[in-house]
This record gives sequence, structure tokens and C-alpha cells, in this order.
Amino acid sequence: MAAHLTETYACVPATERGRGILISGDPKSNSILYTNGRSVIIRYLDRPLDVAVYVEHAYPATVARYSPNGEWIASADVSGMVRIWGTHNGFVLKNEFRVLSGRIDDLQWSPDGMRIVASGEGKGKSFVRAFMWDSGTNVGEFDGHSRRVLSCAFKPTRPFRIATCGEDFLVNFYEGPPFKFKLSHRDHSNFVNCIRFSPDGSKLISVSSDKRGILYDAKTGDMIGELSSEDGHKGSVYAVSWSPDSKQVLTVSADKSAKVWEISEDGKGKVKKTLTAPGSGGVDDMHVGCLWQNDHLVTVSLGGTISIFSASDLNKTPLSFSGHMKNVNSLAVVKKEKMILSSSYDGLIVKWIQGIGYCGKLERKVNAQIKCFAAVGEQIVTSSFDNMIWRVPLHEDQCGDGDCIDVGSQPKDLSIALLSPELVLVSIDAGIVLIRGTKVVSTINLGFPVTACTISPDGTEAIVGGQDGKLHVYSVNGDSLTEDAVLEKHRGTITVIRYSPDVSMFASADANREAVVWDRASREVKLKNMLYHTARINCLAWSPDSSMVATGSLDTCVIIYEINKPASSRITIKGAHLGGVYGLAFTDECSVVSSGEDACVRIWRITPQ
Amino acid sequence: MANAASGMAVHDDCKLRFLELKAKRTYRFIVYKIEEKQKQVVVEKVGEPTQSYEDFTASLPVDECRYAVYDFDFVTAENCQKSRIFFIAWSPDTSRVRSKMIYASSKDRFKRELDGIQVELQATDPTEMGLDVIKSRAS
Repeated sequence: MAAHLTETYACVPATERGRGILISGDPKSNSILYTNGRSVIIRYLDRPLDVAVYVEHAYPATVARYSPNGEWIASADVSGMVRIWGTHNGFVLKNEFRVLSGRIDDLQWSPDGMRIVASGEGKGKSFVRAFMWDSGTNVGEFDGHSRRVLSCAFKPTRPFRIATCGEDFLVNFYEGPPFKFKLSHRDHSNFVNCIRFSPDGSKLISVSSDKRGILYDAKTGDMIGELSSEDGHKGSVYAVSWSPDSKQVLTVSADKSAKVWEISEDGKGKVKKTLTAPGSGGVDDMHVGCLWQNDHLVTVSLGGTISIFSASDLNKTPLSFSGHMKNVNSLAVVKKEKMILSSSYDGLIVKWIQGIGYCGKLERKVNAQIKCFAAVGEQIVTSSFDNMIWRVPLHEDQCGDGDCIDVGSQPKDLSIALLSPELVLVSIDAGIVLIRGTKVVSTINLGFPVTACTISPDGTEAIVGGQDGKLHVYSVNGDSLTEDAVLEKHRGTITVIRYSPDVSMFASADANREAVVWDRASREVKLKNMLYHTARINCLAWSPDSSMVATGSLDTCVIIYEINKPASSRITIKGAHLGGVYGLAFTDECSVVSSGEDACVRIWRITPQ
Repeated sequence: MANAASGMAVHDDCKLRFLELKAKRTYRFIVYKIEEKQKQVVVEKVGEPTQSYEDFTASLPVDECRYAVYDFDFVTAENCQKSRIFFIAWSPDTSRVRSKMIYASSKDRFKRELDGIQVELQATDPTEMGLDVIKSRAS
């Protein structure tokens, strides 16, 4: 038996309020590149479920760019390292250089692919450095900036020029190679966020948080004009991208719109069309990044929504999709609509459909953070970092008005009885709370620190796991619990307990990397020695026919065991999610869905060999 | 024959059985136990050549330490039949600390008595002596 990856629901670029982000792409392979956490994501616009992820950075990655011939990608991170690796052939590393002493904000290749210029933040001196791609030797002196340099650009035609811009409101121009300072412009009155040369090498445009865009001559660096202020942006302009024919630019701004401007020969820009992506109009719709590639206008919003407009038909509604930006800490499969719901701790719940991908975000009336999440039938129960449990009905993609239940202290784990969903068991610090409908029917202090709990589908039995590794089995009669048995086998804090779908077994996992399957009636160990993880087990899932159990751990692996075979014949999926696997579920007999710290959701298919 | 190594003597039978396994291939595996009262390492169990690796792992107790010798047969990439003699120091996490200490301090001297061990392995839980681990150490 082996498992292979069938679909990846990728994360979206990591964004930060008040700053733009830089995404790049390769027109030949129609792909876009962006970063999230320590990963660099390569997404193919025509194959949204096919996503390649580069995970070799040791620090959060900031920007990545294809080389002009499309063979190499240079990516940079917050520690000032630039890694140059091959696009094909398993991302083999070509070179790695420590370029700046602080975070790198922008990176550009020279048009012949021999030199790279990187700009960002350095302590004291170095804000910009240009070097040869294979040896790392410096090709110029870049002084002239006193604060963080937000963007840099390389003129695509000879004679070579480099332009940089930054938080000191300056736009600097360097001639070379070897590059030397030529002149500086201080026409902007706020941070200059992005600077780009036109593909034909004739003009240069800089955009700034002062809502303006200024055009310069690319060869001399003199200012020639600006983007017209009539119908201009009403908020900071975060990014700019030229069209391939150098006649138009796309700008995106914090005023939640993207504008396409026509640039005339003498350097004046006029708005051709204003594009607004559909959205609720909140802060999350502020646009922070853009890219003009072939016929596609790609814009990224602060909330992570990527919208793709068509350049030839500006009035067409854009294709938009989104995903998670942060650790996806739980997953639920809603059988009826064949939907997968994933939730991340920042309170975002996203719907996915196997085979199609992004299906929409769940609009919630309450936007609290989510710690525990369970979904059954047409209801979602969530708990956050406060003392409330929210029970929300699901109508298609809207959440109805939820009911809020106060449980007295922060819930650690929650479980819904699948067949009688009005019964919910919640574990809090030293006890458990039984909820029927929207009322707390009993709060029981158990006397030991409770870490995980589960209630059987019919609501008659509950199992509670403690910090000492003991499993306590209780039978539920009405509103009270009576202890039936205490099972001792685990040697670490219990992290998760789950009943099998046919209720004949239950499986428990602990922080000491061990998982155990028990027979429910006799409470005997059915499958042991499931010790193959190398770090704490975070999540556990049963296959619908109760024949397989999957465990996901902090060590980034997902291991699938078959109940009828010894634990040593297992399927291991290594490196499923960088940072750890936090959510796991089976969608059908041979597909496992997993989610993790890298904000991605992946579907794996198990095939018998 | 008595030789001191943390005071444990090695029973003659241990060395004889090992030589039989090496030269005549009369056993698949031998499990040794330290008898604290007699202060000796004795043979606890032997396995027939027909028995498999699963029978061997089943014969090791879950929460007590043991020494074991296993004769592992495999086929290499060039299609030749080869065998390797493994010495496995079985010290499960669930066993008592005193037991682990005694077995650990006597191991070296005991191993030197058995001339012809090719690979040594220490296992603290069943996953560390799984068949895939054995296969990877064999070549």
C-alpha cells in the first residue's frame, strides 16, 4: 500500500497591514510565485490543484523570483539569505548567499540572468546589494538610502540601470555595472512602495503611500510625468505591474481597488479602468499585491483573496479564490455536500470540494478566533480562547445566527455525539461540561487536568483523557456521568481520542508519539506498537469503514495503519506539512485529507500495491 | 568459564549455541537472559531455522530486557543470497531501570564472547527493530 498526493489546496500569500507584498510569475509556464511562512509556493494558473512548495528556508521567506530564462528561482527570507534553486529537478540548490544583514524586501534578476539585486533592511550600511548569481561577488556600491529599501528594479535592456526606492521617500538611480549612484528623486511625500521598469526598457514608474505614481525616463532617470490624479487612487498604492507591451500599468491600492492606466509616450498616465473585486468592503479587501502576466491581471488582497481579471476583457467578472494564511488546525468532512471544512486559529473557515478546490469562505457572524472546531450534519460547534462555545447552524455557505454557551473556563477539547448532535461534551481545565442543545446540563469537576475528550455517537459513553496519560471511560446517564473504567497504557499526555465510525473500537494518541486502538466492549488493547512518529501526535482519524486509522504528528508525517495488520506494515507520508500536521480526516475509503502549520490542505490517495 | 564484567558470568552454553548458529546454522535466533540470582547470562530460548522474524519479535518480552542474536538472510541487489548475524540489545522503555542498567553494563563483555557478530542494534521499542530497520542495516 502506498499513498500519493492528489490535490493541494494551497495557502495564500502572507500579508501584513500597511505594507504591500510582491508576487511574481513566469509567463512561459503561466505560474505565479509567492511566499507564506517558510515556504515558497508555485501555483499554476491553469491547474489550480497542482501546487509546488519549496520548504528549504530556515526563516520566513519574503519574496521569490524566476530568472529570465525560467530555469532558476531566487528566493529570499527575513534573515537576509538568498537561495537560488532550480525550477525542475526537485528544486536542487544552486547557491546560497547571505546578502543583507536584515530582512530582504525585493529581489530582481538582471535580464541576462547573471546578476541579482536585492534590497531590504540592513543594520547601518547595506540596504541594497547587487551580486553575480553564481559567485556572489559584489557588482556595485549602493549608498544613498538611509532607511529600509522597499523595492528595487533592474532595467531590462542595455544600458543597465538599477532603481531603488524606500521608506526615506527617495527614488535612487544607479548606473553601471559596476553600479554607482547617479541621482536621487525626492518627489514622493510618503513611503515609496514599489518601483518597476517597463518591459521595453523605456520608462520607470514608482508608486507610493502618498497615493501617487511618478514616471521617469529609464535611461537618464529624469522625471517625465505622473499618473493623473483625476480618478486616481484614494489610498496608499502598494504595488505596480507593467503590461507586456509596456503601454499600460496595473496598480493596486489600499482603497480596495485596482486601476489600469494607459501610459502615453510622453509619460503621462490616465486611468483606463478601475477594477474592484467583489468583497464585503472591509479591511480584508485592501489590495496589497499585483502582477500582470500574459492576459491575466492578478491581484492579492489583505485577507488573502487572489482575484484574476482578464486583461483583454476588463469588464468580465474576475475569478477569485482564497485559502488559509495561518495554521489550519482542524478539518471536518461534511458528507452531504461532499465538502471539506477547514478552520484556522484566526477564525477563518474555508470550504473546499474535492476535485474542484476552493469553494468559498464561511461567512460568520462572530469572527472570534477558533481553537476547537467540530461539524456534524448542518451545524458547526466552535470554541475560542474565551469561555464561550458557539453553536452555529449552516445554511449552504452562510452561517445562521449562532447560540453562545458559557462554559465557565477555556475549553480544551470538544466533541459532538454524531447521532444526537444536541449533545456536546467539552473538556475544560479540571473537568468536563455536558451541553444539551444550548444549555449546560452539567459541569463535573473530575479532579485531574483533562486534556482530551470524546463522546460516543449515540451519546451513552464518554472517554476523557488526562495529562497523566490515563483514559477514563464514563457512561452517560441523562445528565450525570459515572466512571466505568480507567485504562492505563499511554506514557504521555493524551492529545486526541476518537471512536471508530462503527463504534466497535476507539483510538487514542498521546504526546509521547504513541497511538493505541482499543476494543470498545472489552476495553482491551486491539492494536499497539503504533510508535512510529518521532514527535507528539496531534490528530487522528478513522476511515469510514473502520478498517484504517491515520495519525498526524508534529514531525510533519501522516501514518496510516490497517487495523487487521500489525503496526509495522504501515504507510508513512513524510513531510506532509511543513511545521506539523494538525488536522486529519478521511473523505472516503481511500482518500485522506490533511492540514497543517503551512496553511495548506492536501488530499492523498491510498492505493493498494 | 567465568569472566567478570559488572560481575556477570557467561554460561558456557551461550557460546556453544552461538557457534552452532554460526557454523552449522542449526538455529534462526537465540535469546539470552541475565539471571540475576545466579549472576549469569544464560540461553533463554532458541529458534528453529524455519521460524521467521515475526516469531522472533514475538518471543521477546514487552517489558523486560534481553540480548538476542538473529541470523538474517536476504538477497542483495546483484541477486546473491547473503546472511548477516545481528546482535540486538533489547531494552524496552517500559522495563525497569535496574534491568536496563544491568544489561547495558554487561553488554560489551558479553558481545566479545560471541565472536562473529556482524551488525549490532539497540532497540528501545518494537519500532526500532522493525523489519525495515533490519533490512537497512543489513546492507
